[in-house]
Amino acid sequence: MKTIKIVFKVTTALLLSAIILPSCQDIVDEPLQNVQPAEEVDYTRSEDMVFLIQGAYGEFNFLQWETYPLISVRGDDVNAAGDQFPLIETDAFRYDRSFWMYNSGWLNLYGDIINSNGLIEGINRFKENGADAQLADQYIAEIRVMRAFAYLQAARLWGDLFIFESSDPTTLVDMEIAEFEEVMQHISDQMDLAIPDLPDARPNQRTDIQNGITRYAALAIKAYANLELKNWQETVNATDEIISSGLFELYPDFYDAFNIPGKNSNESILELQYSDFGQSSGTNTRYLWNFFGPSSYSPAVEGIGGGWGFWEPNEKFIKFMLDRGEETRLIGSVNFTPDGIASLESDPQYSPLPDFVTNVSPDGDIFNNHPRYNFQSAKHYMPSNQYTPGRTTFGDNNNFRVIRYAEVLLMHAEALVSGASSSVMSAEEAVNMVRERAGMPALTSVDLDAVLDEKYAELAMEWGHRFYDLVRHDRIEELDHEINGEQVTYQRNERYLPYPLLQLDLLPQLKDHNNNE
Amino acid sequence: MNKIFKNSAVVRALLLGIAFSFTAFTSFGQRTITGTVFSAEENEPLIGATIQVKGGVTGTISDVDGAYSIRATESDTLIFSYVGFLPQAVLVGAQTTIDVALETDAVNMEEVVVIGYGTQRERDLISAISTVESDDIVKTPTPQAMQSLQGRVAGVQIVSNGAPGGAPTVRVRGVGSFEGAGAPLYVVDGMFVDDIDFLNPSDIETMSVLKDASSAAIYGVRAGNGVVLITTKSGSFNQAPQITYDGYYGIQNPQNVIQMSNAQQFAQYIQETGSAADQGFIDNAMQRYGRSTVDPNVPAVNTDWYDLIMSPAPMQSHNVSFSGGTNQTKYSIGLGFIDQEGLLNETRNEFQRFNIRTRVDAILTNWLTVGGNINGSHATRYDGSNAAWFNAYHSVPILPKIDTLNTPASEPQLANAQLLGYRGLQNPFYSLIYNDNRNNIINVVGNFYAQAQIIPDKLSFKTQYNYNFENFNNRSVSFAFNDGVTDRVSSLRRSQQTRFDQVWDNFLTYTDNFGKHNLKVTAGQSYRSEFVEGLFARGTELDPNPTRDNEELWYLDRALNFEQDGIGDFGSNLFFMSYFGRLSYNFDDRYLLYGTYRTDGNNKFQTKWNDFATVGAGWIVSGEPFFNVSGVDFLKLRASWGQLGNDAISPAVGTPTLNPGRLTVFNGAPVEGRIFDPTFDLIDRPETTVETNFGVDARFFNERLSVTADYFIRDTRNLAIFIEQPLIRGAVRRSLGEIRNEGLEVTANWTGGTGDFRYNIGGNFATLNNEVLSLGGADFQQTGGEFLQRSTVGGSYLAFFGYEINGVFQSQADIDNSGYTEEFLANANLTPGDFFFRDQNGDGEINDEDRVALGSFLPDLTFGANLGFSWKNIDFSMLLQGQMGHQILNRKRGEIIFTNDTNIDAELFNNLWRGNGTSDRYPSAAGLRKGWNQNSSEYYIEDGDFWRIQNIQLGYTFGNDRSPNANMPTIRVYATAERPLTVFDYNGFNPEVPNGIDRQVYPVAAVYTLGLNVKF
Repeated sequence: MKTIKIVFKVTTALLLSAIILPSCQDIVDEPLQNVQPAEEVDYTRSEDMVFLIQGAYGEFNFLQWETYPLISVRGDDVNAAGDQFPLIETDAFRYDRSFWMYNSGWLNLYGDIINSNGLIEGINRFKENGADAQLADQYIAEIRVMRAFAYLQAARLWGDLFIFESSDPTTLVDMEIAEFEEVMQHISDQMDLAIPDLPDARPNQRTDIQNGITRYAALAIKAYANLELKNWQETVNATDEIISSGLFELYPDFYDAFNIPGKNSNESILELQYSDFGQSSGTNTRYLWNFFGPSSYSPAVEGIGGGWGFWEPNEKFIKFMLDRGEETRLIGSVNFTPDGIASLESDPQYSPLPDFVTNVSPDGDIFNNHPRYNFQSAKHYMPSNQYTPGRTTFGDNNNFRVIRYAEVLLMHAEALVSGASSSVMSAEEAVNMVRERAGMPALTSVDLDAVLDEKYAELAMEWGHRFYDLVRHDRIEELDHEINGEQVTYQRNERYLPYPLLQLDLLPQLKDHNNNE
Repeated sequence: MNKIFKNSAVVRALLLGIAFSFTAFTSFGQRTITGTVFSAEENEPLIGATIQVKGGVTGTISDVDGAYSIRATESDTLIFSYVGFLPQAVLVGAQTTIDVALETDAVNMEEVVVIGYGTQRERDLISAISTVESDDIVKTPTPQAMQSLQGRVAGVQIVSNGAPGGAPTVRVRGVGSFEGAGAPLYVVDGMFVDDIDFLNPSDIETMSVLKDASSAAIYGVRAGNGVVLITTKSGSFNQAPQITYDGYYGIQNPQNVIQMSNAQQFAQYIQETGSAADQGFIDNAMQRYGRSTVDPNVPAVNTDWYDLIMSPAPMQSHNVSFSGGTNQTKYSIGLGFIDQEGLLNETRNEFQRFNIRTRVDAILTNWLTVGGNINGSHATRYDGSNAAWFNAYHSVPILPKIDTLNTPASEPQLANAQLLGYRGLQNPFYSLIYNDNRNNIINVVGNFYAQAQIIPDKLSFKTQYNYNFENFNNRSVSFAFNDGVTDRVSSLRRSQQTRFDQVWDNFLTYTDNFGKHNLKVTAGQSYRSEFVEGLFARGTELDPNPTRDNEELWYLDRALNFEQDGIGDFGSNLFFMSYFGRLSYNFDDRYLLYGTYRTDGNNKFQTKWNDFATVGAGWIVSGEPFFNVSGVDFLKLRASWGQLGNDAISPAVGTPTLNPGRLTVFNGAPVEGRIFDPTFDLIDRPETTVETNFGVDARFFNERLSVTADYFIRDTRNLAIFIEQPLIRGAVRRSLGEIRNEGLEVTANWTGGTGDFRYNIGGNFATLNNEVLSLGGADFQQTGGEFLQRSTVGGSYLAFFGYEINGVFQSQADIDNSGYTEEFLANANLTPGDFFFRDQNGDGEINDEDRVALGSFLPDLTFGANLGFSWKNIDFSMLLQGQMGHQILNRKRGEIIFTNDTNIDAELFNNLWRGNGTSDRYPSAAGLRKGWNQNSSEYYIEDGDFWRIQNIQLGYTFGNDRSPNANMPTIRVYATAERPLTVFDYNGFNPEVPNGIDRQVYPVAAVYTLGLNVKF
């Protein structure tokens, strides 16, 4: 019996300890680690609001490599030189809704839009909980500009789109598609909302967020939208304000405007910010410049990496520049390979070429032949002697130029010659200011032809401006050009890309919608 | 089945007691008879066999050597008996020494099976449990025990992993979850673990796979993907000390190596594409490396990358174990070492593991037994760069390994494809030579238990505490080098993860009989916690530059710089509290009832408590008086229904979260900011499975033939699935899926033999039908981007999706007669040599409406067959296995849609379309690069069917004489061929691809070993 007593004692003790320790209700309520529900954020901590604008800039500065070429590849200024079939086909106006880049570009732009929506909601929560209302409104305005920029690019690619302000993508399922014009008007209206809340300064004058978005980026985007709407006067109202601020000036050296010396210059209205933080390695934020880098070259500073060589100026553009007698902008736009030079010279009209046409850059980098291209974009090239010592990845530490003052001047001129009027600056003055920096003689009068030519010369290979300009003015025959000996022609119903197949599966309303009607 | 004969400690102790009581009575006119009792089959002494005088009360039992001594008269008959063996009667006569060999009694073997929190008589089982024994496990030369189950267990699919130390993918009864590869729960001596990478296969006594819900439901929320119960080896009470050495040495030989196009074929292919740029690269190669003397249009380089990057690799394993026991304690100690080198050259690619294990069980008093078990392992795994495999497939053959013209490049001056004009380096040796990736993994799994008899033979209480400590330390180093174009800085990344899991079980077991009613009840409680913590950091520009010769200096404090987004930590603290119970009832050994219930509390999901129940019934038809079918020895019908959970899915809070943003420059400083994640996951409960199982067990012809068949329907609900969101990159997870796995499993074994010759032959097969039942209202969900996989309600989960192919257009006439409309053809720009896609809806256009499911990566049928025989001292076994009815996405070939810069495999090259009638399978060379042909289609989807000779082993045993008392060691030498032959059509190294997407997996090598087993 004694044994049994002991048994019971031991067993009871074990059983009790097992049941009492630890208490089951407590443990099932233990929170998950390292997860912060948005609802549990302390929105009364006003000083934390800055994290949201930092997050917004983080997303804005992150431009996926395929987005830019997709936006920019069409047109007679640039060829897709790499092995990217979707890009090559898009350049030749042969679209296919199953191209992976279409879906990817769509997701990248809409991802930015939805992120922006979420961040605006969050900043409003801080504002409701006592954060500095003026600061909150400024942050919201900055994010509105980022979002409008994404809408602008998406609408240029697909025309008719969804406009929405929710951060919940499921609300889209039944949403109606807005026409291209509605999207542009929305962008313009959004900029009107943002402008009063934004700092009245040049980006490089800002101290709270250095090189951030200011009123002038919003005005420039408003100008884009109204240009697309052919609201010429609204365009000029916006460009007038930028010009009359007197804050901006063209960077004197066209070639270096795109290099490290021109980073965040007084010409810059909007730039994606990257930095290697002055360190030879370690923390680094960068655009994937490899896309643009030469695949075969001998850099003056050995060991600097190259790239994929995907961005090739079209020979038509180079001949156009030679015809105009351009030197500064040709050197600043094009890197020549020996094969490229030979190809130009094979046309007796261009033989011999001027001496400045050489395969050696002003900084001594030598461009070698490559089977996939004859030329490279010098605007997206960084001389090998401008790298932070230790950094060798192509383009490290350079910013990505988005909106330059030169472009504002030319938009101004374009709207004026199309029918608007300005008391601030004439079309001639605007065009000549741009020409002066390029070492080109002043013009006494300008018409639409002159402005579009000037835009071609100044803005080639940047953001698809050439394509969108010609389509806007319906001068589509000028878009025809040769790619590797093949003549490509643009049809009027090829303005917009087909909606990506994967999106058709998710958003049935896109299926029945013809965006190129 | 887990045949722990019921000669376990308790039974033996009982028998001892009975025997001793008998010896109290003595008779006159007797003499002493001595002898030995051993098993006829295994020649092992039988300890504790009962020797009784027939009709009398005298009796004794045999000792640890099987020896006995008993007093008897000349006319007495001695009865020798032992549980699980046929009793034998021997007339004493004039003999004074009587040695007896007992034959196993298959009919009345009281086999017991290990089940969760206890054991059960096999006869009472209503569940589908398959057990694999130590002997079969060690036949496979591998560090991974689960690998040895391939082909042995119906309904368990094993997908091999060729990387050194790599764990195979294990699926029990299809796919019931899509996270964590749907891996089963492993319970090692009571401890819950996610994998058994740490375990030495030769330390395992048995592995029981609990396949159905009735067997697994006692493990509740962890059991949804099946449960594998592992019992490690222990000694036996009253066992003579035994020392065993088992080891092997072998060679792993890569098999079924893919033939790539050689330089000549590659040059021809490029010429056929008509691409001037690609021809330019070849011209560059000819300029740089010269022209081939055979064909002046081909560079004088012909590199077979696979041949260069891999070679046969050795493998060895050594194990020593000590075991034994007295009447109150038993022990088992094991040491093991395994070294598996990888196939990759010029890099460290190796797995080494050292195991040590100690297990002690002690009967402290007549009511208290305690035991403990510590299993420690230390593994070092050097992962070769997977990029090398990828590069070897894609790298052009006109690039040499070494290029002495590449003078700026670091030693050994590797060739760089960029110098020919290609986009990437291509040369796989960059990733092999300039990288080193080491993992140090330490595991300690411990177990302690105490079992108390509260009411002898009726009520017992057991408490057991288990822990698993794991330290996982990764160091990944990239050396600085120049590739001829770019300087690359060195970097070092370290990550360290500690895991500490505990399980504490307390349960009561009550056993009782009332007349013909037999009852066994278990009730208990279990506490479980899982803590994980980790830290990682990455530094760049080490001083001095790391090289293979200065490993002692590979430390982060030698890094000049760090990457802000390369430094971080993580952790999780999960808690679980469970209560469970089980009732097992048997009436007259004919009617069986079974039920379990478990409720699990957790802090992982919003649904805090989840309940899991099962009920089952069995009918032993052969036990009925009316049953009299000649040739049928045993027949049992069983049916069960049960619920299981799977919590091995990532939890999700189910609301938008505020997360660290992207690293960016902000006022000159690197910051991450915060962004909202609007596309939050919502996983508020574990996945739940409801399964119905019907089974038959039968034995025929004096137990020679045994057959087990199970049919199951397994529905998993609240399945965490990925749902593509419109407009947003990345899918969100929702508990919305419902999927059915349904199948039939049949296993049959025949044993026989005469004299010295014994043989067995067996086979198993399992069918599997996987069907999506619901996707939360949607008709389908898809993933995979360009290589689409779509789950459609009514179809298989993640079926490949795209166009069917009628063939290849042979001529313009074919195109004109394709049935495509003129308008469509005007824009489609088709030429002969392009695919003829099937116009499913007949509208004359090929578009998204024409895409259909193209097959699933899950096999419809898996099968295995085994054959074995022994004759005198020779033993032989062979295992075959195969899988059928699954598809593989040949993603290697699909890479061309992202870049043209690559080689193509020889099979593709040889069968490209080159004019009318040349090929109906593949497009022309130019067509390969055309968007039309790059659409997701049958072209990329290939049959994965294969069969394989999985394992052949031939052994010879020395010193296998009939005398169990001989002090000679037993020596067995054996030769093994693992996977010597695999037969398949798929264009890849290996038809085993875990998720069906082959972007180049590590080849699974054949292994040939010679082994030695010595027992003292």
